Parts: sequence; structure tokens; C-alpha cells
Amino acid sequence: MKPDALRGHLDALLLATLDGVQLHGYAIIEALQQGSGGALDLPTGTVYPALRRLERAGHVSSDWSTVGGRKRRTYELTQAGQRALNAERDAWREFTTVIDGVLGGGGKWAQT
Amino acid sequence: MGADVMDADVVDRYMTELGSRLRGSKKQVRELLTETRDSLADATEAHVDRGLTEREAQERAVEEFGPVREIANEYQAELAVAYGTRTLVWLAIVLPLMHMAWEYGRMLLIGPWQDFGTRPPAWYLFVAQANDLTSGIASGVALVALVLGRVLARKYDTKLLAKAGATIALLAVAAVLLGNLAIILATAHVDASRLVQSLPMTIASLITWIVIVRLGLLARRCLSCATIVV
Repeated sequence: MKPDALRGHLDALLLATLDGVQLHGYAIIEALQQGSGGALDLPTGTVYPALRRLERAGHVSSDWSTVGGRKRRTYELTQAGQRALNAERDAWREFTTVIDGVLGGGGKWAQT
Repeated sequence: MGADVMDADVVDRYMTELGSRLRGSKKQVRELLTETRDSLADATEAHVDRGLTEREAQERAVEEFGPVREIANEYQAELAVAYGTRTLVWLAIVLPLMHMAWEYGRMLLIGPWQDFGTRPPAWYLFVAQANDLTSGIASGVALVALVLGRVLARKYDTKLLAKAGATIALLAVAAVLLGNLAIILATAHVDASRLVQSLPMTIASLITWIVIVRLGLLARRCLSCATIVV
């Protein structure tokens, strides 16, 4: 999947990846790639500024800890982040329902 | 072996180039670079586990991380916003505190202005009131900018927010600077002796100016951090 198509959804993808878990940066990147079956083709370096942006918005909090002898910054969802994720999921379902209704099948677009 | 040793520096070279492009709070830059190095080390380990040589693994990790120019630009936008936020916090806290401390000191050491015998002209009172209000307004604007910055963090481009924050910080300091300059010039015009009425207050005024200049330098650095983002 092209990076430009993903960029607009990166915040939501990161929120979803952190749903119920506390992860460090690379673990988030791995989870994103595994979750997409390797289809997400985004420069992994763009994940870190996006995490900072989410932190600024109060949707994610972070903390430094030492894991396996290496200093790690781990991230987790805040309550506001959980609410934002729920809103993103609702908006996505609504969006896909509408688009699927037109493109999905049975409509005039699908028949042409 | 020789090639592996030479190319073991792929990550180091990437880190050096990335670090050389970043401006902002030293702590923030250090944290971002630490996180980046960890990520590249993790990615390298993962690729080695999948069967690549150390050299190939590092090259793949760096390639996946993204072109250094593009990544540096995104990092810089975040650093600029962080620097802007810090400067706005300083403005929101320091300006009213400094003004209150100066006014309290003036009341304690000099007393109300009307005790000087003659009532100052109306235009002088206007300048004095405007100066009194400037610190409060500048502090309020900084506070509103901080709140808006948080609310709009995901809605607007980080680069735009960084530039807006820096501009607000610079304008707020400029307003306070002009207010202080205006009251000094006005006082010098009405009765220059008032400027040196009390040594402790003269020292307090000097400290005030040092703080304002310091805040001005912070705001200027803030703008330079925001404007190097393409």
C-alpha cells in the first residue's frame, strides 16, 4: 500500500496498535506490519514524529524504561486516546459502509 | 569481513547526518536520536535473524526508516513545536509573575505614583495602563495558543503549528518589550528622576529587561527552529 494513502490514517493505525498494550517504537512498527500482513509500506521513521504528535494531542503517553539493557521509550493510550480511537473506528465503519454501498456490488457503479 | 566492518557504520552515518540536520532543545533532540538508534538496532537485529549479513541488515534498516532528508524534516517539525510549546509556557508563567513582582516592589519601595506631588498627564496614565495590560494579554495569548496547540495537534500540519507558535511567542515578547520601552520613555519625559528613585527598583527593572531579552532570544530561536522546516 502506498505511503501517501496511509499517511492520513497513520494516527488511527497507531492508536489501534496501542489499544490495550504498552509498546516501544519498534514494537509498534512490527505490530503495524504484522497487522497488515506486510502490506503497509511506510518509512518507519515517520512513526516517531506521529507518536509525538499523538502525545501532544494527549492521546498517547510515554515513559522511558530500560528493557534488555537498552533504554526504551514506551507508549500507551490515554483515556482521551481511547475515546479518539473509538471515534476513529466509528468514522471508519461509517465511511466504509457508505463507499461499499456504492462501489461494493449491486450498485450502478459495480455494473459498469 | 573487511566489507562488513566498513559497512557496520551505515547506521552511524545515518544517525550523524540526521543529528546534524536537527535543531531544538538538546534533551528533545537527544531523546529522538536515542529512539531512532534503538529502532535501527532493533530492525538490524530482526534482519540478521532473517538471514541477512550485518551489512545488508543495516542497509535494509536504514532504507526502511526513510530518506534522511524526509525524516529530518518531520523530526524538525516536532522539535520546533516542542520548543514553541516550552517558550509559550515560559511566557504564560513568567510575564505575569514578573509584572506582579515589579508592581509589588514598586508599591513597597516607592509607593503610589500620585504620592509624587503632581498627577501625571492623561497620556502618561494611558501608556502606564497599556503597559500594565500588555503582560497580562501576552500571557493570556500564550496560554490560549498552548490550549489551541493541543486541541489542533492532529487537525493541522505540524509545520504550520510550529510556525504559528513561534510567531505568537515572538509577537508576545515584542509587545511586552514595546510596553516596557514606552513606559520608560514616557517616565523619562514626565520626570526622569523617577527612573532612578530607588536603587532596588532600578535593579529590579534591569532584571526585568534581562528576562524580557532572554524570552525574546527563546522566541527567536523558536522561529528559526520552525522556519528551517521545508
